[in-house]
Amino acid sequence: MLSRAVNFRLRSRIPQNASLIISRNYHENIVDHYENPRNVGAFDKNDTDVGTGLVGAPACGDVMKLQIRVDDDGTIIDTKFKTFGCGSAIASSSVATEWIKGKTVDEVLSIKNTDIAAHLKLPPVKLHCSMLAEDAIHSAVGDWKKKQELKNTKVAA
Amino acid sequence: TIQDELDDLFENATTPVENGDEIEINYSSGVLTISLGANGTWVLNKQTPNRQIWWSSPLSGPQRFEHLRIEEGDGTDVWVSSRDSSSRLGALLSKELKELYGFEVEFNM
Repeated sequence: MLSRAVNFRLRSRIPQNASLIISRNYHENIVDHYENPRNVGAFDKNDTDVGTGLVGAPACGDVMKLQIRVDDDGTIIDTKFKTFGCGSAIASSSVATEWIKGKTVDEVLSIKNTDIAAHLKLPPVKLHCSMLAEDAIHSAVGDWKKKQELKNTKVAA
Repeated sequence: TIQDELDDLFENATTPVENGDEIEINYSSGVLTISLGANGTWVLNKQTPNRQIWWSSPLSGPQRFEHLRIEEGDGTDVWVSSRDSSSRLGALLSKELKELYGFEVEFNM
């Protein structure tokens, strides 16, 4: 729940006076995406029009799976994600799935982690979450492109 | 430690650093937080299981540095960017401090 994510942030910022509780608020965009994440779920990763990006590592705390369904023109028509991690990671990947819908696979590669971070007003310590979301987009596109290449070589043969 | 170096730097700065800015350098639980007032906040995070330092800068954004031990002479421990293997943590920190305050300082890492 949100309280677990808040405790993590308080722990990494030890207050000088232990009896003073510093209350940090998440920006409303993060809370929105945390409580109402968009596009949660999964596609069948074996579908030929689906690209799957899997990034992160449990050892460092976050894992993101972002999937795209792409039509024949290279436009992303649907997206799904599942993220294991903090509120900022969930929000970053949720935002990513929203932003890439309707764009082409090449257009989305120009989405920068700084854009996601600015939209969510991420604090410095959470910039890695938006970086991971950007990596997830690239990974999903890369996977889809690889599949298309394989499809084309099969057709050629 | 980086914290000691930075504390010295800011206390002994010859060019006046804005007094209005609250400069705070804090290390606890494996997290080094460098708050330079209006210039923003750096966060350096020790990720022990991966042997990485996670860096976050208002100038260069987030980055991960991998530990590398150079066996020359006594041997040095350096932290190399996972994005660009020619970039090191020490050099990046020096560069950003120089950009903002004109400090000439080297961090041998």
